[in-house]
Amino acid sequence: MDGSLSNRVRTLRFLNGEMTQSELGQRIGVTRQTIAAIEAGKYSPSLEAAFRIAQVFNVALEDVFQWKTDANG
Amino acid sequence: MPYREKIAWLSLIAMAVTFGPYFVVVGTAEPMGMLPYLRLFGIAALAQMLILGFGHLYFRWMSPEEARLPMDERDRAIMFRSITNAYYVLIVGMILVGCVMPFNSSGWSIINAAIFMIVAAEVVHYGLVVVCYRRHT
Repeated sequence: MDGSLSNRVRTLRFLNGEMTQSELGQRIGVTRQTIAAIEAGKYSPSLEAAFRIAQVFNVALEDVFQWKTDANG
Repeated sequence: MPYREKIAWLSLIAMAVTFGPYFVVVGTAEPMGMLPYLRLFGIAALAQMLILGFGHLYFRWMSPEEARLPMDERDRAIMFRSITNAYYVLIVGMILVGCVMPFNSSGWSIINAAIFMIVAAEVVHYGLVVVCYRRHT
């Protein structure tokens, strides 16, 4: 089944006092570049990193990451 | 640019400016004796070590915090992908060298072919690291 992973990391950073990519990266143990890649949808984080991101923003995992199935998939 | 991408660029440049000229010389020059080949190889290897050594020191000095950071999961994924592909290049290269070895009497031709395959595998390794970081993957 074809689909793609989307995320609301940029929005959640904004809603959390414009948290920087570096700060989020430090809190979950990855580099700023990895956060940038996740936000751009170029890199899919591990399950552990995804849960850590959700924990930092104090939201459920599905509020951060969503799986969108292609219409023709 | 991430610290590890800078190191990959440094390694590619070091390889290009040392072993590039080395292979041009050994590929175009008349067959030489043992000592000239050894001297050429020694110069190329020493130059590469110096470029890498000073380059690492410079980048560590420029961004000490980033240099101290351990690899994160994306760094490890990129490293895994690049090393896996470089490994195949190395294995195929060594098989090719092994196939032509019985038909070649010059020891240095075989050694240079093996060195070329090692350099090719390293170029694939660092080249893929750069491509992966550029593409964010």
